[in-house]
Amino acid sequence: MLHMKNLSKIYRTHLIETHALRNIDINVKQGEFVAVTGPSGSGKTTFLNIAGLLEEHSQGDYLLDGVSIGGLNDDGRSKLRNEKIGFIFQGFNLIPDLNLFDNVDVPLRYRGFKSNDRKERIENALQQVGLSSRMKHFPAELSGGQQQRVAIARALAGTPKILFADEPTGNLDSQMARSVMELLEDINAKGTTIVMVTHDSELAARAHRNIHIIDGQISDINAEKYVSAAISEIA
Amino acid sequence: MWMYYLSLGINSLRRNPILTFITVLILGIGIAASMSTLTILYVMSGNPIPHKSDRLFVPQFDTDGMDGYKPGEKPAFQLAHKDAMNLLRDAKGVHQTAMYGISQAVDSRRKDLALFQEPGVATTAEAFTLFEIPFLHGQGWTSNEDRNAAQVVVIGQQLAKKIFGKTNVVGQVLRLDQRDYRITGVIGNWRPLPKYYRVYGSGAATGLPEEIWIPFSNATSREYSNNGWTNCSGDSDPGYQGFLNSECQWIQYWVELKTANDAAAFKDYMSAYVATQKKLGRMPRPENNRFSNVMQWLEDAKVVEQDTKISSLLSLGFLLVCIVNMMALLLAKFTARDGDIAVRRALGASRWQIFQQFALESFVIGCVGAVIGVALSFLALRLMANGNADMSAIYKMDAAMLSLTVCISIAASLIAGLLPTWRACQVLPAMQLKSQ
Repeated sequence: MLHMKNLSKIYRTHLIETHALRNIDINVKQGEFVAVTGPSGSGKTTFLNIAGLLEEHSQGDYLLDGVSIGGLNDDGRSKLRNEKIGFIFQGFNLIPDLNLFDNVDVPLRYRGFKSNDRKERIENALQQVGLSSRMKHFPAELSGGQQQRVAIARALAGTPKILFADEPTGNLDSQMARSVMELLEDINAKGTTIVMVTHDSELAARAHRNIHIIDGQISDINAEKYVSAAISEIA
Repeated sequence: MWMYYLSLGINSLRRNPILTFITVLILGIGIAASMSTLTILYVMSGNPIPHKSDRLFVPQFDTDGMDGYKPGEKPAFQLAHKDAMNLLRDAKGVHQTAMYGISQAVDSRRKDLALFQEPGVATTAEAFTLFEIPFLHGQGWTSNEDRNAAQVVVIGQQLAKKIFGKTNVVGQVLRLDQRDYRITGVIGNWRPLPKYYRVYGSGAATGLPEEIWIPFSNATSREYSNNGWTNCSGDSDPGYQGFLNSECQWIQYWVELKTANDAAAFKDYMSAYVATQKKLGRMPRPENNRFSNVMQWLEDAKVVEQDTKISSLLSLGFLLVCIVNMMALLLAKFTARDGDIAVRRALGASRWQIFQQFALESFVIGCVGAVIGVALSFLALRLMANGNADMSAIYKMDAAMLSLTVCISIAASLIAGLLPTWRACQVLPAMQLKSQ
């Protein structure tokens, strides 16, 4: 599903070069639930941004669902992001002046779905997260946990192949965090690949596998068995 | 997607309403300032008789003496009486007319309406055909009545209402300067703008058409003096007859040709006429004829004053300042939405889609600005007219200017929105999402 080989990200200014990721090799298979852990500043979010096509990598190869990302322009990356990827952010990132229905509608609009199809998908997605009765409410009228559920519904509405979650429970209390985590596990059980960045070792433990990043490099031996598979797939 | 972007644009007006209001108001004020001055420029530089303006001509001769002669100067804009009469006699056009301004005392014979002075025109019967003057009742006088210097008059409907309380007054008598004139016709709605047939003299180019029209021959036989511009050089015999025989230029002359191409033949005729007059000891200066159609004539007469042109330019400059201010406000407005842009980008919007969304938002602002701009333009034009009914026709927007106002408003907002929209497209989603 997600294959990175020798991937690096370097931020350059006229004075310094910062290596955010160094020669990363990662292979995430279809249907996996992977937790990416590591201390602050280790490169977790950079990894997620590159994996989610929000940033370009500097070196190496990246294949997402069989598509080589290297040669894509902005339109191509945006289309791929829209069709194959769902995002869940720590800060929920709902658009405040749109109601829940319209928030979930955003990615579907860019996808070009017909009105009836969009309506059905939005209703299903909000039902899946238990908020179908609050479609006309605005984000500010919801609790943090509910807002994150809307964000999950928005990510799911377009039936993405892979879901990237950046500290999805970071702004929630433990009860809400548990409930969101259960929801993610349900989604994963239905076949959606999930890559989740987290600080929370308890949450990370619930994933199928952990990838630990330190100083822009993968340090977890657990990941090594997948590296050879990734290399052979790209080759 | 356009409808979606449009609805987002409309919704965004409600977002930060004070900033939106100021942005739209700035645009509206800029539009109103520029469009109200441009309206005046447009009206004054318009073609008052478009279907035949290239066939109506004003002939001009340089009949002055050698005193003060400067080569290249334009000849006088009016003709001497003898030249006007000669041209009328030769009748080289399809229609031709001579005219001068008069101002006569009108006796309404009503106790409740005192004697009053009314400006008018002394002209020939063909003027009504040549200028296509519409009649509400009756018609103009005949050529025969021209020849006989008949006591006939054509009046405007305002004068008819003022004196008789009604417009159908054909056959009734109007008393001018203690003489009775039979009314042959009442002019209908007619307001050429600019008033091309007499751009000099009373009323000038913005005035209303005269309410009294009498035969030229009658006016000169009654020795009615010229109420307008008279340019005299050299000596002349005393008395009214002396004035008629002089080289004074005071008569406006118009000729209508069958086609615009007949102008060359008429110019030849004018040259031949000057040659003849030189042999008679007149026109000592080198031949310096002009033969201008309506639009050339209006340009020569500087109907569009320099002040009007300058104020139009200044108002466009003001609009530019408004656009720059608006750009800064839109930049602030759009920058506040970097978070939304980042979310949309993360959810699959391309830069081009973001561009379209924000361009449409600028378009919506332009539409609202146009409504305010039009309203303020009407107000400004009303204030400029200052309650003067004569001027209200000039300070008035027609459909073309209204459409132009809307187009300029939308174009201005799109231009003002270009930089903020471009900047919105450059938002890096990763950076924004992390900072939220």
